Amino acid sequence: MSDGSRQLVLFQVGARVFAAVAADVRRIAGSLVEREEEAVAETALGRPWDARRGLVVGAPEGERTVLVDGVLGLRAVPDSEFQSLPRFASDILPTAALAGFAILDEVPTLVVDLPTLVREGEPGRGAGPREETRHHA
Amino acid sequence: MPERNGSTRGRARTRRSRDGEAAAIAAVLRAHAEGDYKPRIDVKKLRDPVLAGLARDVNRAAEKADERGGEIAARMEAVRVGLDEAIDAMVRLVVEGDLSGTLRLAVSDATLTPLIAGVGQVMETLKRFVREIREAALQLSSSSAEVLAAATQNENSTSQQATAVHETTATMEELKGASHQIAENAQMVASIAEQTLSATRQGEGAIRAFMESMEKVRRNAVEVDEAIVKLSRRVERIGTVVEVIDEIADRSDLLALNAALEGAKAGEAGRGFSIVAAEMRRLAENVMESTREIKNLIGEIRESTHAAKEASDGNKRMAAEGERLGGAAMASVTGILTGAQGTSDAARLIHLATQQQRSATEQVVQSMAEIEEVTRQAQAGSRQATGAAAELARLAERLAAMVQRFKVE
Repeated sequence: MSDGSRQLVLFQVGARVFAAVAADVRRIAGSLVEREEEAVAETALGRPWDARRGLVVGAPEGERTVLVDGVLGLRAVPDSEFQSLPRFASDILPTAALAGFAILDEVPTLVVDLPTLVREGEPGRGAGPREETRHHA
Repeated sequence: MPERNGSTRGRARTRRSRDGEAAAIAAVLRAHAEGDYKPRIDVKKLRDPVLAGLARDVNRAAEKADERGGEIAARMEAVRVGLDEAIDAMVRLVVEGDLSGTLRLAVSDATLTPLIAGVGQVMETLKRFVREIREAALQLSSSSAEVLAAATQNENSTSQQATAVHETTATMEELKGASHQIAENAQMVASIAEQTLSATRQGEGAIRAFMESMEKVRRNAVEVDEAIVKLSRRVERIGTVVEVIDEIADRSDLLALNAALEGAKAGEAGRGFSIVAAEMRRLAENVMESTREIKNLIGEIRESTHAAKEASDGNKRMAAEGERLGGAAMASVTGILTGAQGTSDAARLIHLATQQQRSATEQVVQSMAEIEEVTRQAQAGSRQATGAAAELARLAERLAAMVQRFKVE
C-alpha cells in the first residue's frame, strides 16, 4: 500500500476470527454459491458452521470460493501491525496458508493467504506447509 | 069459813106428802139413771097410791134391770175371759212362734165366735205369711249370698280393672311423653330433611352453574385456541416477512461488503465509497440485529403460543373433565335430590303421623283418665254394693233366723 497500510478482510470460521488481504478477495459471495464445485468448505482453518459467506479467490482454473461463517468487515491496518509467524510456529503448523498475524484492537489475528489456502484445499494436494507459498509481512 | 080453812090446810099437808114421796122416787130414779139399780122405793111408806103404783113399777123395773145387768155382767165377764184367753193364746203363739196349732178357748160364748174365727183367719194368714216369708227369706238368703259373691267378685274384678286401668293410664302417660318426644324428633327430622333438600337443590343449582361455567371455559378455551392459531399464523407470517427482511438485509450487507471491498481495492479514490458502504453495512447489520431480535421475539412468541396452546388444550381437557365430573355430580345430586325429596316427604308424613299419634295418645290418656275416674267410682260403688250385699245377706240370715222361730207345720 502506498500509505503504509494494508486493507484486510476480517472473516470468521467457527469461533475464530481471521484476516485476509483484501486484494486477494475478488468479491464476497452469499451463502448460496452458484457452482458448488467452486466452493471450498474444508480448509486448514476448519469447517465453517453455517457457511453464510464466501470469499471468492482467483485460481488458475478460474475462481474458488472459501466458505466462511461470516465476513466481519474491512480494516485498514498499518504495516507495522503485521508480524511474521515465528519459525518454530511455521514449522509445526500443518498449513502454509498462514502468512502471519496482525494486532487488531490489541488482539493478535492470523492473516490467511487465501490463494495458498485455496490451493491446499484443492483435491490431490497435500495440506503440509510449503515455504514457497508462505507470505511474509 | 073455818071449814074452808081446815080443808085448805089438809090439802096443803097432802100436797107436801106427795112432794116428799115424789122426791124419794126421783132420787131412786136418779140412782138408776146413774147405773145403780140397787136402791128401792119403800112402797109401804107411800100414801099416795099413784106414787105407790109408780114406785112398785120402778122397783120392778129396777129388779128387772138389776137382773138383766147381772146377766150382762156375767156375759161380759165370760167375754172378757175369752178375750183374755185369746190374747194370751195369741201372745203365746207369737212369743213362742208356734203357729202349727189352732185356737181353743174355754169360753164358748157366741159373741166370741167371730173373734175366734178372725183370730183363726189371722193365724192362718200368719202361717201363710210365715211360710212365704220363710221361703222368701231362704230365697233372699240364697240370692243375697249370690249377690254377695257376685258383688265380691265384681269388687275384685273392679279392683283388678282399676289396677289395670291405672297401669294402662301410667303406660299411656309414658306413651304420651314418648309420642311427644317422637313428634318433636319427627319434626326435627322433617326440618333437617327439608334443609337437606334445600341444600341439595342449592347444590344442584351450584353444579348447574359450575357446568355452565365449564361450558363457558370450554368455549373460551376454544376461542383462545382459535386465537392462538390465528396468532401463530400471523407470527409465522411475521417470521416469513422477517426472513425476507433478513434476506434483504443480508444481501444489503453482502453488497455493502463488496462495495467496501471494491472501495478498499480502489485505494484513496474509493475511500468515500467505502464510507458509504460501511454505513450501508452498519444499517444492514442493524436491520439484521433487529431481525434477530424479532426472530428471538418470534421464537419466544412461538414458545408462548405453544405454551398457551398447551394451556388452552389443558383448559379444554379440564373443562371437558369438569363437564364430565359436573355431569356425574349432577347425576349424583339428582339421585340425592330424589332421595332427599323422598326423605323429606317421608319425614313430613312421619311428622304428620306422629302428630296424629300424639293427639290420639292425648285423647287416649284423657279417656283413660276418665275411665280411671269411672273405674274408681265403679270400685267405690262395687265396695258399697259388696257392703250392701253383705248387709243384705246378714239381714237375710237374721230374717231367716227370725222366721225360723215360727212353727207352721
